[in-house]
Amino acid sequence: MAFIELPIIYKSLKCVAFSLRTLREKIKKVSEQQLFKVTIDNITIEVPAGTTILNAARQIGGEVAPPAMCYYSKLQGSGGKCRTCLVEVSRGSEKDPRPMPKLVASCRTTVMDGMEVKNITSPKVIDARAGIVEFLLLNHPLDCPICDQAGECHLQDLSYEHGKEGTRYEFQKRVFKKHDLGPYIQLHMTRCILCYRCVFTADQLTDKREHGVLDRGDHSEIATFIEKNLDHDFIGNVIDVCPVGALTDKTFRFKNRVWFTKPVDAHRDCPTCSGQVQLWMRGDEVFRVTARKDEWGEVKDTTDGKPGWICNTCRFEKKHINDWVIEGPSKVNRHSVIAQGHYIGLQKPEEIMPKVMHGRAPKLLMDIHSVSEVNRTNIELSLIDGPATSKTFNHSEKTNA
Amino acid sequence: MGVKLLLEKAHVEGIRSYEVYRREGGYRSVEKALKTMSTDAIVDEVKKSGLRGRGGAGFPAGMKWSFIAKPEGVPRHLVCNADESEPGTFKDRYLMEFIPHLLIEGLIVSSYALGSHDTYIYIRGEYAWIVDILENAINEAKANGWLGKNILGTGFDCEIHVQRGAGAYICGEETALIESLEGKRGNPRLKPPFPAIKGLWERPTVVNNVETLASVVPIINLGGEEYAKIGVGKSTGTKLISACGNINKPGVYEIDMTISVEEFIYSDEYCGGIANGKRLKACIPGGSSVPILPANLLLKTAKGETRYMNYESLSDGGFATGSMMGSGGFIVLDEDQCVVKNTYTLARFYRHESCGQCSPCREGTGWMEKLLLRLENGQGKISDIDLLWDIQRKIEGNTICPLGDAAAWPVAAAIRHFRDEFEWHVTHAEEAQKRNYGLAHYAEPIHVPVTV
Repeated sequence: MAFIELPIIYKSLKCVAFSLRTLREKIKKVSEQQLFKVTIDNITIEVPAGTTILNAARQIGGEVAPPAMCYYSKLQGSGGKCRTCLVEVSRGSEKDPRPMPKLVASCRTTVMDGMEVKNITSPKVIDARAGIVEFLLLNHPLDCPICDQAGECHLQDLSYEHGKEGTRYEFQKRVFKKHDLGPYIQLHMTRCILCYRCVFTADQLTDKREHGVLDRGDHSEIATFIEKNLDHDFIGNVIDVCPVGALTDKTFRFKNRVWFTKPVDAHRDCPTCSGQVQLWMRGDEVFRVTARKDEWGEVKDTTDGKPGWICNTCRFEKKHINDWVIEGPSKVNRHSVIAQGHYIGLQKPEEIMPKVMHGRAPKLLMDIHSVSEVNRTNIELSLIDGPATSKTFNHSEKTNA
Repeated sequence: MGVKLLLEKAHVEGIRSYEVYRREGGYRSVEKALKTMSTDAIVDEVKKSGLRGRGGAGFPAGMKWSFIAKPEGVPRHLVCNADESEPGTFKDRYLMEFIPHLLIEGLIVSSYALGSHDTYIYIRGEYAWIVDILENAINEAKANGWLGKNILGTGFDCEIHVQRGAGAYICGEETALIESLEGKRGNPRLKPPFPAIKGLWERPTVVNNVETLASVVPIINLGGEEYAKIGVGKSTGTKLISACGNINKPGVYEIDMTISVEEFIYSDEYCGGIANGKRLKACIPGGSSVPILPANLLLKTAKGETRYMNYESLSDGGFATGSMMGSGGFIVLDEDQCVVKNTYTLARFYRHESCGQCSPCREGTGWMEKLLLRLENGQGKISDIDLLWDIQRKIEGNTICPLGDAAAWPVAAAIRHFRDEFEWHVTHAEEAQKRNYGLAHYAEPIHVPVTV
C-alpha cells in the first residue's frame, strides 16, 4: 500500500508546491507594479513597495543617502545596529500622516506611500548622528597611521563627514586580549565597531560559523570561542565587509598604503568563485586582491548578477601578475584618497544641494579669492616663461608695470 | 484595607499545593472560560477590564492580545515573562513562589484565549528554586486534567514549559527574551515586525508579565466590567508593589491604586514610614529605570495636588516633574542617601547589562558610568554634569530597545532634580567623601524650581 501511495502523495505535494510558487510569483508581480511615492529631503521619487528608506535615498544619491556602517545590502538581516542612518520621518504616509515619534533606522524601515523623510534637512538627525559618531569613536584607538584600512575606512569617512572635530572622552580606551584567527585574517578587536557584518557573512557564506560575538555591552568582542583558525573557502570575505580595520588581510599587512596602490579590475578562471576581482598593484607587483566594490563600499555583483564574493585562493594565494587577466583600471568614485583623479571616466557628481533647498543655490558667505589676495587674477600664468615661483607674485606689480 | 485580588489567598497554609488551592476556589476561571466562553469573549473581557501590562510599559493587555496575527496553519505562542530583573522589583518572585497555581491558572485561560498550545514561562536563571515550584505546580495541574490533551473535554490542548534564562537583564525585553528562548544570544530584535506578527520561531507570539497573566484569573472570575470598577481611571484593578529601601516594612503589597503615595509610605498597613525616624529624601517609584523624584514632588504634583499610586498620577507632569509606575519597584531613599552614588550604581548596572548591539547604548552607558564614578569620588568637574546631560540625551530614543532609555532616564532625572548635589560633589570634593549632602530643600513643601 505504502509503495503505491507514496508517489501519489509526492505528486500532490509537488502540485501544491507548484501552485504555491505560482501564487507567490503572482504576488511578487503585483507588488512590483506597486510604486510608493516617497519624499526624502524635498526630493520625491517613486520606489517599489518594500524598499527601505535607505535604499530609496541611495537611488537619489549624494548627501541625501544616509551613511551606513552596519547595513550591507548583500547580507540578509544586517543593519539597525550602528544607528548612523537614523532619519526623521516627518509624515508617516498618505493614509496616516502622523510623524514617527522617534528617529528611525532608515536601513530597516520600509517606505510607505506619501512618506516624507528628513535626513540632512533635519537638525535633529544631524545632532543625533554627530552623537553616534562620537560614541563610535569613543573606544576606537584612532591608530589610522598604522592601520591598513586607512584610506578606505568607512569610519574615517563617517567621522570626517558627520563628526565633530574633537572628543569629550577623558578616560582610557578599552583594550582586548589579542586573538589569533589564523594565517590569513588579522583581527584588531580594539578597532571593531560591532557591526555584526562579519558574523552575517560567515552565517550566509560558509557552512559553519566559527566566530561570533562573545560577552556583552562595551566588553563584547568578535572572537572564536576557543582560539581557532577561521578556515573556509569564503571566509576571507569578512575582510571586505568590515567597515573599519578590525579585520584585515594578513598577507597585505604593513605592505603598503592603499592610496599608493592602484586598483585594477582582473579575472581568472576559478573553480570555486567567479574569479572577478580587483587587484591593488604597484608597478607589476600585486599587493592585494579584493572583491570589486560599488559606490557604497559593498561587494559588486558579478556579470551573472550574483554578489561577487571571492574565494580564499583568489584573495590570498594568487599574488602574481601572471595569475590574472587584467581588464583595465577600476573606476573608483567615492573613496577620495584612492580616486585621486588619475583615472579616466571620472564624472563630476551632480549638484544636489539646490534640489534639497527648493531650487535655491547655497549662499557663499565669503568668496575667499576676492579677499585673500593670494591668487592674483591679474597675473596670466600662461604667459610666464617657465613655472611660476614666489618671485612671479612678489614682483608682479613691477612686471606688469 | 484595600481590595486584594492576587494575594488574597497567598497566606493560606499550603496554598502552594494543588489541593489547598483548588479548595480555596482555584481553577474556577479555567472552568468558566473553557466551558462557557469563546476565545473572542475572553479577549473582550480582558479589554473591558482595562488591564494594563504590569511589566513596566503599561500597555493595555487586551489590546496587545487583539493584535496577534492568526494565519492559517501557523501555531501561536504565549510567553510569560518571568525574567524579573529590574532592580527594586521582586513582586513576580513573591507571586510565583507563594501562589504558583494562580499563574498557571492565568496561563491556561490566556493560552486558550490566544490559541497557544505550547506556552512558555521564561524565568530568570537566578530564580532557580522557583523553577522547581512552578514545575511542581504544572505537574499537579496536569495530573488533575487542567493541562495536557483535551482539557476538560473541550478539545483544547495546552502544555506549559519552564525555561530558565542565563542571567541577563536584557532578556526581560520581549524580543530579546524570544531570541534567548530560541536558544540564541539575547539581543533585542528590530521592530517591526512585532512579536504579535513574527515572534517565537517567526510565529505570532504574545509576551506578558507574570502579574498581568495572573490578573486574568480575577478578570474572568469577576467579569471585565466588575474588575474595571476597582482602581481609578485608566488604572484599573490591583497592582503589586515591591517596596524596598529605607522603610520600616519592606515587602510586596497589593494596592488598588486609589491610595496616595504619602499613605503608601507612611501608613502601617504598607511601608510603615521611613526607617530609624529619618526623613524622606527621594524615591524611585517604579523600578530602577524610571525617573527619581525628590520628596516634595513625590508626595505632591507640580500643581500642588496629591500624588496617588496609579499610572496617571505618578506620571503627572511628564518627565519634567513626574515619574512612572513602571514595574512597581518602589525604592525609597532617606536623608542619609547620596543621589550621586545611587545614580552611579544604576549607571554601573546598565553598563553591565547593555547587550552591546547598538552603539549609543553600548558606548554611552560606559561613558556615563565613568563620569559618575569620577563625580562620586570627588574628582569630577562642573562641566561633567552638562556632559552627562548631553550623553543621556543622545542615547535616549536612538537605540533599538528601551534599555537605552532606561539607562538614560535615571541619569537625566537625577541631574534634573538634584543638580545642586552633583555640583556639591565637585565644589566640596573632600567633604563629599566624608558625609552626604543631606536633605537640603528636597523635602520642603515649597515648590523647587525644576532645572534644565
